[in-house]
Amino acid sequence: MKEKQIELIVQKVMEQLQAKFPSENRVDPVDKGLIFTERDWETSIPKPAFQEGAADLTASTPARIGVWRTGTRPLTKTMLKLQFDHAAAIDAVGGEVLENYLQEFELFTVETCYENKEVYLKRPDKGRVLTDAAVQTIKERCQHRPQAQIVVSDGLSASAVETNLKDVYPALLDSLKLSNLTCGTPFFVKGGRVACMDHIGEILEPEVLVLLIGERPGLVSASSMSAYMCYRPRKGIVESDRNVISNIHPLGTPPVEAGAHIGTVLQKMLEQKTSGVKLEL
Amino acid sequence: MSTVVIKSVGIDIGTSTSKFMMSELTLGRVSSNFSLPQFDIIQRKVTYVSEIISTPLKNEEEIDLPLLVSWLEKEYQQVGLTLSDIKSGAVIITGETAIKKNADALIHYLAERSGDFVVAIAGASLEAVLAGKGSGAARHSQSSRAAIANIDIGGGTANVVVFQQGKVLETITFHVGGRLIEMNSLGEVLTVSPSLKPWLFFKKFQVEKGMRLSLPKLVEITSALCGDLLDVLAGGKSISSLECLVHSTSCPALPRIHEVMVSGGVGRLAVEEPPATLEDVAKFNDIGPLLASELMKAVKRYHFTVVEAAQTSSATVIGAGTQTTKLSGATILIQPELLPLRNVPVVKAALTEMDFEEQIEQVFLKGKEWFEGNDHLPFAIGLGGTLYLSYVKLKEVADIIGELYAMNFPLAEVLAVVCENDMAKALGQALRLQTNYQVICIDQIGIEHGDYIDIGAPLNDELVPVVVKTLAFS
Repeated sequence: MKEKQIELIVQKVMEQLQAKFPSENRVDPVDKGLIFTERDWETSIPKPAFQEGAADLTASTPARIGVWRTGTRPLTKTMLKLQFDHAAAIDAVGGEVLENYLQEFELFTVETCYENKEVYLKRPDKGRVLTDAAVQTIKERCQHRPQAQIVVSDGLSASAVETNLKDVYPALLDSLKLSNLTCGTPFFVKGGRVACMDHIGEILEPEVLVLLIGERPGLVSASSMSAYMCYRPRKGIVESDRNVISNIHPLGTPPVEAGAHIGTVLQKMLEQKTSGVKLEL
Repeated sequence: MSTVVIKSVGIDIGTSTSKFMMSELTLGRVSSNFSLPQFDIIQRKVTYVSEIISTPLKNEEEIDLPLLVSWLEKEYQQVGLTLSDIKSGAVIITGETAIKKNADALIHYLAERSGDFVVAIAGASLEAVLAGKGSGAARHSQSSRAAIANIDIGGGTANVVVFQQGKVLETITFHVGGRLIEMNSLGEVLTVSPSLKPWLFFKKFQVEKGMRLSLPKLVEITSALCGDLLDVLAGGKSISSLECLVHSTSCPALPRIHEVMVSGGVGRLAVEEPPATLEDVAKFNDIGPLLASELMKAVKRYHFTVVEAAQTSSATVIGAGTQTTKLSGATILIQPELLPLRNVPVVKAALTEMDFEEQIEQVFLKGKEWFEGNDHLPFAIGLGGTLYLSYVKLKEVADIIGELYAMNFPLAEVLAVVCENDMAKALGQALRLQTNYQVICIDQIGIEHGDYIDIGAPLNDELVPVVVKTLAFS
């Protein structure tokens, strides 16, 4: 069958269905309470022997403890929630940050040599190098040798950028303003890994660079962001030369507070002319 | 900064005795290197506890200030302390001393001359909590499922705090103390405290100055006193039925209590031999020893398990010296030249989605009414609520606060904000950029409407010691 024919059949079926069930009778999921909130997912120990103690333990961690069981297995609800969170994590890795979202922050986009998501996951090294076109673009569009360079990247979670950038980024800009630091031309790197900072450092030679990048999603949060910071990033930088504030999301490190604090860390890097484990915070 | 050790003092001016203590508080980073910095007091070490002295009184209504000051100076000399060494601490005035004529002036005078950030605190509820932390009851409750009541009985009051899992549940204070009836070894009553008289009248006990009381009569009175106190704690009698004995309480009915600990001067006497003669009773010219032995006798009649206190007479002073200072969050915005700030009243608003502007306006109006006088900094604004703040919302909040503050307090120069949630640095920078005020914005401090706050000089770039005083002076 040809594609056109299938489309026609589908269209016909849909029309018939709509005639059968007029739209007024359709169930609105919100009215029916079919939208699940965090509270709806909650399960608990039915009759804990020590209520306060159990509550203290469950309050101390976002991990799935004290969720109860049926026989020797978890409750169906717990299993569904686990699958739900797992799916969200996979989506976050596979997703892409929408272009118009980035335009809101006046960020233009360049790419690393990652090619596509599949290669990106298998070949971390490719996410550390910008394409020749990207090098050309940032050479043309960015201020050379700025005091502070901001770079945003999707990394392993596009939803991290979409969830947190609107709070982290303006707070960061304000903190730079308050610390009297000047900022170069910020941009977005698609398919970036943390060490793409080094390549960018070679090209633009900023004094300090901060990379806001999506973290590997977990089952607690799929939209967690990290801010990696480095003094004079360049080839040969090792992990211990970078500082990081991790777990930035609405239920973790507060995004606005993290943004405000990045400015202070950058200022200390400039004062002490170093970063990483040598930096005294 | 990995760890910092600060010296903290405690001074307890009680109804019958006064004590001084010194401690070292170790501050350390408690968050990982991948998170925002977070500091806490990780160790509290008591390094010195003074001899217990009788609180010097000029007469029945006034404390002898010069004597007290010279005693304190001697203590400082003895431990080799200079005022600039002391980075925190508290002077607490407890029991009946707090109602003496010059109590207020005295405690502030002492606080200001005891070190950089030594604060004046008072209030029966606070006293109870500090005593319960100093005695070891709070720590005991962390490793036990039971609710434990710490009964701290001094000369003038019995301060009770109930802890469970290290958390304060409730506090209650009774007019029960060793010095409420003073007497000599012949059983002759020297004075009866006015605060005990309503209960004596209620129980139809005849006790007047100059009367002679026999040992059995004294036993009867003290036994009834302990019985009523324990009845209230055990739930046998309601708080309202014994209003004449209750000084103040945080709740109309107490939670179920499983264990008790006794501290304070009377707590110390409780572990000694019970007095056998009138002479034994009147060892300190008051009913203290008898009250102690009767309490220990009476408590056996209840379901309570008695847990031995780690500290008895020094519980309150140790609590005051080691437990009053809290630390702010470590991402805050301050202008160090404005600190320390003392006795700043607090008005509180909750961050909500809807009517935040209205709320701020209302609390500002209230604040204007209550705290007139200090034009430079009329009060600190406490911000509670669990609302997640986006940066847009945060800037809005900063605008609202800035505009209404300017409108209501045209002479103010400093804007102080105390947030419950971790947001002070972001809010502080928004306030700095959007208003013309000098800004102190700190966080992770729980605070209520009507509290008073002291904010100390910074311990590093972004960390300040804070004392919240729930009950301030009238």
